[in-house]
Amino acid sequence: MKKYDYPEVGETLYKTTLSNGLQVVVLPRPGFTKKLCYFVTDYGAIHRAFTMDGADYLAPAGVAHYLEHKLFDMPGRDVTGEFAALGGIPNAFTSFDMTAYYFSCTENFKENLALLLEFVTTPYFTDESVAKEQGIIGQEIDMNADNPDSKLFEMLAEAMYEKHPIHTPILGTRESIGQITPQVLADCHRAFYRPDNMFLCVVGDVDPQEVAQLAEAQLQNLPRPTVTAIRSWDEPMEAKQHFVTCQMEVAMPMFQLGFKSAALPNGEDGVRQEIIGDLAAEALFGESSGLYLKLYDAGLIDASFGGGYETIEGMSMLIASGDSEDPSAVKDAILQEAKRLVEEGISQEDFLRMKRSAMGRRIRSLDSFEATCFRLCAYHFSKFDYFRIPHLYGEITQAEILKFIQTVVTEARMCMAVITPKEEV
Amino acid sequence: MIQTFHLLPEITLRCFSDNRFKQETLSLQFIRPMRKEEASLNALLPAVLLRGCETAADLRAITQRLDDLYGASVGAQLRRVGDYQTTGLSCSFMQEAYALDNDAVFAPMMAFLQELMFRPLLVGGVFSEEFVEGEKRNLLSAIAAQRNDKRIYANGQMVKRMCKGDSFGIPRLGEKEDVEAITPAGLYAHYQKVLRESPVHLFYVGATAPEKIAKLLRPMFAGLERNPVALPAQTPFHDCGGCTETEEMDVAQGKLCLGFVTPVTLRDKDFVAMQIFNTVFGGGMMSKLFMRIRETLSLCYDISSTYHGSKGIVTVSAGIDNHMDSAVQEEILAQLQACQAGDFTDDELTAAKQALLTQLQSTHDSPGAIEGYYATAALSGLTLSPADYIRAVEDTTAADVANAAKTLRLHTVYFLRGPVL
Repeated sequence: MKKYDYPEVGETLYKTTLSNGLQVVVLPRPGFTKKLCYFVTDYGAIHRAFTMDGADYLAPAGVAHYLEHKLFDMPGRDVTGEFAALGGIPNAFTSFDMTAYYFSCTENFKENLALLLEFVTTPYFTDESVAKEQGIIGQEIDMNADNPDSKLFEMLAEAMYEKHPIHTPILGTRESIGQITPQVLADCHRAFYRPDNMFLCVVGDVDPQEVAQLAEAQLQNLPRPTVTAIRSWDEPMEAKQHFVTCQMEVAMPMFQLGFKSAALPNGEDGVRQEIIGDLAAEALFGESSGLYLKLYDAGLIDASFGGGYETIEGMSMLIASGDSEDPSAVKDAILQEAKRLVEEGISQEDFLRMKRSAMGRRIRSLDSFEATCFRLCAYHFSKFDYFRIPHLYGEITQAEILKFIQTVVTEARMCMAVITPKEEV
Repeated sequence: MIQTFHLLPEITLRCFSDNRFKQETLSLQFIRPMRKEEASLNALLPAVLLRGCETAADLRAITQRLDDLYGASVGAQLRRVGDYQTTGLSCSFMQEAYALDNDAVFAPMMAFLQELMFRPLLVGGVFSEEFVEGEKRNLLSAIAAQRNDKRIYANGQMVKRMCKGDSFGIPRLGEKEDVEAITPAGLYAHYQKVLRESPVHLFYVGATAPEKIAKLLRPMFAGLERNPVALPAQTPFHDCGGCTETEEMDVAQGKLCLGFVTPVTLRDKDFVAMQIFNTVFGGGMMSKLFMRIRETLSLCYDISSTYHGSKGIVTVSAGIDNHMDSAVQEEILAQLQACQAGDFTDDELTAAKQALLTQLQSTHDSPGAIEGYYATAALSGLTLSPADYIRAVEDTTAADVANAAKTLRLHTVYFLRGPVL
């Protein structure tokens, strides 16, 4: 394995690519007991359309998440039980553009790692187990339907986007998951769980060489079909609708406000755009902004207010959300503040302070195994070396932030979703 | 590994020295009895302190000070431990070694924490009315918002019914009427009482030498007029009778909550066996409740149990179809009976022990987990260090676990039911 030092953040990484194309990264954490390991695929809820070995496929909505649940099944084995016996705590999640399987442990690291690699690369789907999962995931869909935060985001995405598949929920619907069969799962597994489409990342006091050797030995003879997935969508920058609302059992009105922005390019340019988006959100309505103080003092927002720059493959958006008795007033104030910032600019002092703060928070977050491992994976798929981030903070200029705000924070690109309390009958 | 300093009477600093982390953390807790008449005051106090102090008069000035300290954060330190609650502030900040141009972080951070805690912005000798009214609105919406998460809401309703005669039934943030009644003068009087009477616990994690911390923090309290009032000892559950109740609401998924009582608290030697029992019963993906009710019967999406060791209460919470409450309750009780009869496999027991061991062994791997373990133990009366706890888990037998299970008695049932389609 090759060693890379990043003295600015006090970190070292070991990297290699296995003979089957899988890339492996180890971040040593000497003196720590805990080990965390992520095995992830560059495949999520939005990758429904693909061609494999010349044939076209369109999978039902929710299949990536369904597959995540079903991969824990192995013939005649109890994967969760085996982890439990080894003291490993396994889990998994599916996002719009990534599926991750991971475990943390303090003992038996090698055995836990071997089990993780084995179960994720062993597809096993029967009619009976696929049918049973429909009950469990159906319950998960119902649970989400009662969660106002997920409901808001789903409403917003559906109202805002025409072509990008973010307009469909990650879990799918009760109808779409009804179309999932063992064959559908097997096809998607074969297409996207190829070693060259995956990434293995370990954080902890382990021997990097041993991780690479174990993965090399474990992951032999995996299928490597030729797959092309649709990964970009010709999405107009104008929001499809500008407002959407519904009623739920909530205490006060809740809103999410989104502004459409372009997809991130790969590599350093993409991460640069991400930092610009983050800093733009901070300058516009972050806690240190004049607008935040004004809205807070006026009682239009409360501690639940927050926002940032969300990036998903093929799209990105600036987002603000919170509880408010008057979401429209918040929206108007943000649009107005954007105009003012573009005209008047940000003071040099404020700008440097914002950058210093953002960088310090990134450095502190390196103490978290979970946050660091997750970011190493996410940035890996966007082909950027995460620990090089301090360089970028140094280079970004105020003009870039203002240009971003001017382009993105407009009425045409905006959509607001609001949930209001159910009226008493 | 922990160094303790008694800075002044009833003011204790505990330091966990560790140079593995890139940040340092300090929590400053004033310990209060859990009482209905002051729960809202204690919840509101840090929120008002974080609105402005003499040297940073509004939210923006505070955030700018923190941004200058490389994005340091300061938050409310509110915790409930048995019959006690805490109020105060906690902060976390980047280790100075990573700062550019030799900027100082540690000393200015300590100074700022002191200004926020002890030099609030006053108007006419009391807290600013604008801050107090603004934070009351926030607290009222936080109380109202608990209704948004149906799992938290249903659990809260169950606990309220179960603990009519116990401090555990007092909502952590108080009730709407308590918040509405607070005035700037009333909150300021409470603040002065907190500073004067409360025992104080400080907890530091990071690379700075403990002696240096103690030296810097001692003067912080030197100017205070103190008359510390010792707290009554922690008490077990006060039983005022249980009930069975269903509430109707327009939700897609029903929430079934069961409350059990046990005489075993974390101050008893059987505590570790009870903790293992809870893990076997409903504490994770290998537990009986999860494996049987979700995996085998597909009766729910989530189900779990929690052991509240400071009181001797076990709660079970399940998200289920609206017409399945009787079937699920029957199955939960059947799984409890199985635990009581010792009807669990070696694998189930090993899995439960391993889950606890993994968690305990990684206690020292994050500043938050370190502070959480030791600062809570100091209040709850838990005397086991993580190492002793680990040994006790290893030594617990299947018979110990079954005996712990046998002490459980069903006390209260609450069901939040949506329309049955």
